[in-house]
Amino acid sequence: MNEISVKNIYMCSEDVVAREIEGELIIVPLVAGIGDMDDELFTLNETGKLIWDCLDGKTSLLDIIENIQREYNADTDLIEEDVLGLVGELVRRGILIDKSTP
Amino acid sequence: MTSFVSKLNLEDFSLWKKIEDHRVPLDFYLEITARCNNNCRHCFINLPEGDVEAQNKELTLAEISDIADQAVELGTMWCLLTGGEPLLREDFFEIYLALKKKGLLLSLFTNACLVTEEHIAFFKKYPPQYIEVSVYGISEEVYERVTRKPGSYANFRHGLDLLFESGIKIKLKTMALRSNFNELSEIAKFCREHSDSTFRFDPLLHLRYDQDPLRNNQIRQERLTSDEIVAIEKADEERSMALQNNCAHFIFSDNYRVDDDFLFHCGAGKSSFTVSYDGFFRLCFGLWHPDTIYNLRNGTLEEAWNHHIPKIRNIRSTNPEFLRICQNCPIVNLCLNCPAHAYLETGSMDAVVPYFCQVAHARATALEEAIKEKG
Repeated sequence: MNEISVKNIYMCSEDVVAREIEGELIIVPLVAGIGDMDDELFTLNETGKLIWDCLDGKTSLLDIIENIQREYNADTDLIEEDVLGLVGELVRRGILIDKSTP
Repeated sequence: MTSFVSKLNLEDFSLWKKIEDHRVPLDFYLEITARCNNNCRHCFINLPEGDVEAQNKELTLAEISDIADQAVELGTMWCLLTGGEPLLREDFFEIYLALKKKGLLLSLFTNACLVTEEHIAFFKKYPPQYIEVSVYGISEEVYERVTRKPGSYANFRHGLDLLFESGIKIKLKTMALRSNFNELSEIAKFCREHSDSTFRFDPLLHLRYDQDPLRNNQIRQERLTSDEIVAIEKADEERSMALQNNCAHFIFSDNYRVDDDFLFHCGAGKSSFTVSYDGFFRLCFGLWHPDTIYNLRNGTLEEAWNHHIPKIRNIRSTNPEFLRICQNCPIVNLCLNCPAHAYLETGSMDAVVPYFCQVAHARATALEEAIKEKG
């Protein structure tokens, strides 16, 4: 369950709205059950926000990892760990969905 | 393992630091109708439920959606849906959902009389931050003395019970009126027993937006005297302690001095605004002076926020009496007087309003005595 694959494409769930205010990202649940409490909001740390901006619903995680590697010239294994970590957490919370899942 | 996602603790949100040096419209009141199913004696806005003229002037769903888009673009996070009675709008669900889908955090003011199972199912699916309900009485006699609508008490209790059972966060409040004065302590007890949120009551009634003289007289008749207001605030331990803890340092400061003649020293138009049912932008919900409002049907929110507000906040007082009595008054924080309320009372934004003055001084005296008693 919630197995994250680098081959897959992930996108923002229709059950949340992601907004940027003055450069600050907030994720607002539209429906109940996204957080533990109904009125919970979420935000991402710097690394999370960088990866979030790449999750366009068109690009696979593998391509995202490669793009970040090229842009920041960082260690691929570390980037992959961060991307899978973030996506796993967002999928578990119902904020991201796997586009390839019917 | 690193966590990339965190629950947003609003107090620590880094946004507040970023906007310290400029104005961002973080929240707004949206009056989606002025019509109401009740006819409360003290109400400053309500028009009859069947008022076709008022209904025809109401912002449409498309207009509301457009204003909300503009607000979101400017950085708005919160929107409070109010009225009149918002649930009277036939397209209430569509309005609510349209705003929610823009990522706005919604709250709702309602009298609860029209709440149905359908509303509950909807709110459970798309939760508001909270719903705030006014409790004008906890007996049929008192409640309907205020609302002047036979049968309203039963509807109110039914709606309120549905809301309580739903698990939605409910806040309760009341207005302290001549008509419910003898039941206030029971109303407070009821509210505190039924909601975990802070119960608030307001004894300071302001006058009608439409300046209807007959209705304004009815509001004046509902006002408590300064002694009565002090008595109920003293009798309510939570309120009394809040006044002592939060207001004393303002009042007994020797340094309170405003060295200018600007009218606005309040927060109006700094981080919030109000939109009337017919599309008028205001700096705060009470500010209706014709020079201060802006018709969003003929302009944009960006223009109102960035260009209209600075002009209004730059208005200066030319009334020597106001400048002498109010501008440096150290108990201004206990007073209802402000440009909005002064205008509703007198037609001028810089006027001294004797009733407000009496209440503020009586409150200050009571507060001083309470602090002395505590040593």
